[in-house]
Amino acid sequence: MHKILVVDDDLDILSLVQVILSMNNFTVEAISRWEDIDTKMAEFKPNLVLLDVMLSGADGRDICKNLQTQEKTKHIPVVLFSANPEMGKYIKDCMARDFVPKPFEMAQLLKTVNTYVN
Amino acid sequence: MFKLRDISIRNKLILMQVFTSVVVFGIVFGVFIITDINFYKQRKVDSMISLAQVIGTNSISSIQFHDPESVKVMLAELHTVAPEIIHAGITNKKGQVFASYSKNKADSFKIPVLNGRAFSFKGEQQLFVSNPIVSNNEIIGKVFLEVQLTEIQEIKQYKFDLAFILLLVALVFSFIIALMVQSYISNRLLNLVYAMKKVGKTGEYSKPLEEGGKDEIATLIQAFNKLMEEIKESQKKKDEFIGIASHELKTPLTSIKGYVEMLNVLEQEQPKKQFVEKTLSNITKLERLVKDLLDVSKIQSGQLQLDIKEFNIDELLDETISAAQMVSGTHQIERKDHPDNKMIYGDRQRIEQVLMNLLSNAIKYSPGENKVIVDSEKTDKELIIKIRDYGIGVPKEERSIIFERFYRTKGISVHISGFGLGLYISRDIINRHYGKIWVESADKGSIFYFSLPLKHSLTTQQKEA
Repeated sequence: MHKILVVDDDLDILSLVQVILSMNNFTVEAISRWEDIDTKMAEFKPNLVLLDVMLSGADGRDICKNLQTQEKTKHIPVVLFSANPEMGKYIKDCMARDFVPKPFEMAQLLKTVNTYVN
Repeated sequence: MFKLRDISIRNKLILMQVFTSVVVFGIVFGVFIITDINFYKQRKVDSMISLAQVIGTNSISSIQFHDPESVKVMLAELHTVAPEIIHAGITNKKGQVFASYSKNKADSFKIPVLNGRAFSFKGEQQLFVSNPIVSNNEIIGKVFLEVQLTEIQEIKQYKFDLAFILLLVALVFSFIIALMVQSYISNRLLNLVYAMKKVGKTGEYSKPLEEGGKDEIATLIQAFNKLMEEIKESQKKKDEFIGIASHELKTPLTSIKGYVEMLNVLEQEQPKKQFVEKTLSNITKLERLVKDLLDVSKIQSGQLQLDIKEFNIDELLDETISAAQMVSGTHQIERKDHPDNKMIYGDRQRIEQVLMNLLSNAIKYSPGENKVIVDSEKTDKELIIKIRDYGIGVPKEERSIIFERFYRTKGISVHISGFGLGLYISRDIINRHYGKIWVESADKGSIFYFSLPLKHSLTTQQKEA
C-alpha cells in the first residue's frame, strides 16, 4: 500500500482527502500544521506528498522547494493543490510534480496521485 | 466647420509661432517703411525750401526793377536743375503773379492755397512749397513751387518688395524653428499618450515615465506617474482581495463538492441518489460561477496573465469536445475538419476555457436540437475555429454586445441560466492572444468564430508589448 502525506490547514478538506484516498487503498497521514512536516516525513516515509499552497503562515511552494532540495526527501514526489489556479504556473519553479486546482473532482485527484506513486 | 480645437497641438504651435512672427515682422517693417518715407519727404521739403530761398534771393532785384522776363529765364532753368518741379511762380507784394514757370506748356501756374504754411502735401505725390522773398526786412513777394514726387512711389514699391521678401524669409525661419520646438513638445505629449494607451490596454502600471525637464509637460507626466502609482496601490489591494476571496470561496466549495461526490458514490438508494446528483450538478454550476467571477475581476485589474506555450490544438479540440459531450445528454458534437496535429502558441488552459464556453453556449442556446459542429481553418497567419449550432441564433443588433459583461440575450421564451460572463471572458482571453472572436448568423442558429495567430505573430507581438 502506497503511503501519502496530506498537508492542508483546512481540516474539512484534510479529512475529505484522507477519506477519498483511504477508500482507494492508500495509507494516509494528514497534518494541518506545516511545522510538523519534517518530523512526519522522517517518521512516516510517504511515497507522495499532497501539499496545499496557501497555508497559514507559510507558502507551500517554499516548503516544496525545501523538500525537493533536501537529500533525504528529494526523491519523494510532491503534488501541490490550491484554490488559486494561477499556482499551477509555479510547479516548475518549486520543483513540484503536478498541480491540482481546488475544488477538484475525486477522479482527477486519484488520477494525479496514481500517476506519481507508480 | 473649421474649429481651432480640432487642430493638433503640434500644428497649433506651428501656427502660433508663424502667426506671431508674421505679425511682429509686419509691424517692424511697416514702421520702418513709414519712417523711411517720412524721412524722404522731409528731406524733399527741406531741399525745395532751400531752392525756393535761392530763387527768392535771385529774384529780389528783378522784382524791385519790375523785370519779370529775367525771372522767367531763371525759372526756365528749373527744367534741367529740378525736373520734379512742375510749376513755379513768384508773386509780388500784392499777391499777383509776377513771373511763372510750367514744366508742361499745356497747363499754367496757379497760386496754391497754403494758408500761411511753408509747405503742404496734396495726396502722396504733390508737394507745394512757399517761401517769402525778404529784402530790407520787408516781404516783397513769395516763391511758390509745385513738386511732383514720382520717386516716392518707386521708393515705396522697392521698400514693400524688400519687406515682403524679408517677411517670407522670416516666415520660413520661424516655421523651421517652430517645427523643431513643436516636435520636442508634441513628441513628449505623444509619448505620454502612448504610455497611457499602453497602460489602458495592458494594465501594466509598473513603469514610470521619464519626466524630461521641469516644464508643464513634466508636471503632467509627474501627475500621470503619481496616478499610476495610486492605481498600482489600489490594484494591489484588489489583487489581495481577489486572492483572499478566491481562497475563501473555493475552500468550502472544495469540501462540499468532495463530500457530495463521496455521497454520490456511496448512496445507491432512490430517491436519495437523485437528490445527491442534483446537489452535485448545482455545485458544479456554482463552482463555474465563482471561477467566472474571479476571472472577470482578474480581467478588470489586468491580472489575467497567459502562460504561453506551444501545444497541439487538435488534441485540445478533441479533449474539450469529449468533455463537453460527457456533460451533454442531448447534443451530438461533431468535428468537421481533419485533425492533423496543428501546433500553436497560446495558453492551453485558457483556450480550453474559451472552447468549453462556446460549446456549452452552443448546447445551451439550441434547446430541442441535437447537433453542434466544430470546424477549423488554417491560413498563413492564423487558425480559425468555428462552432456552429442550430439554435435560436443571435439577432444582428446583439452581435457586438453579446461579448459585454453581464449581457444576457433578450427575447427568448425558454429560460437559460447563466451570468453572462462566458463570452466576456472568452473575448478577453482571445484578445490577449492577439486573436479575434465574433459571431455570424446562419440559416438557423449561429456560428461563433475565434482566430488565433500562428507562432510568429504571437511571439513578436508579445515581445513588443
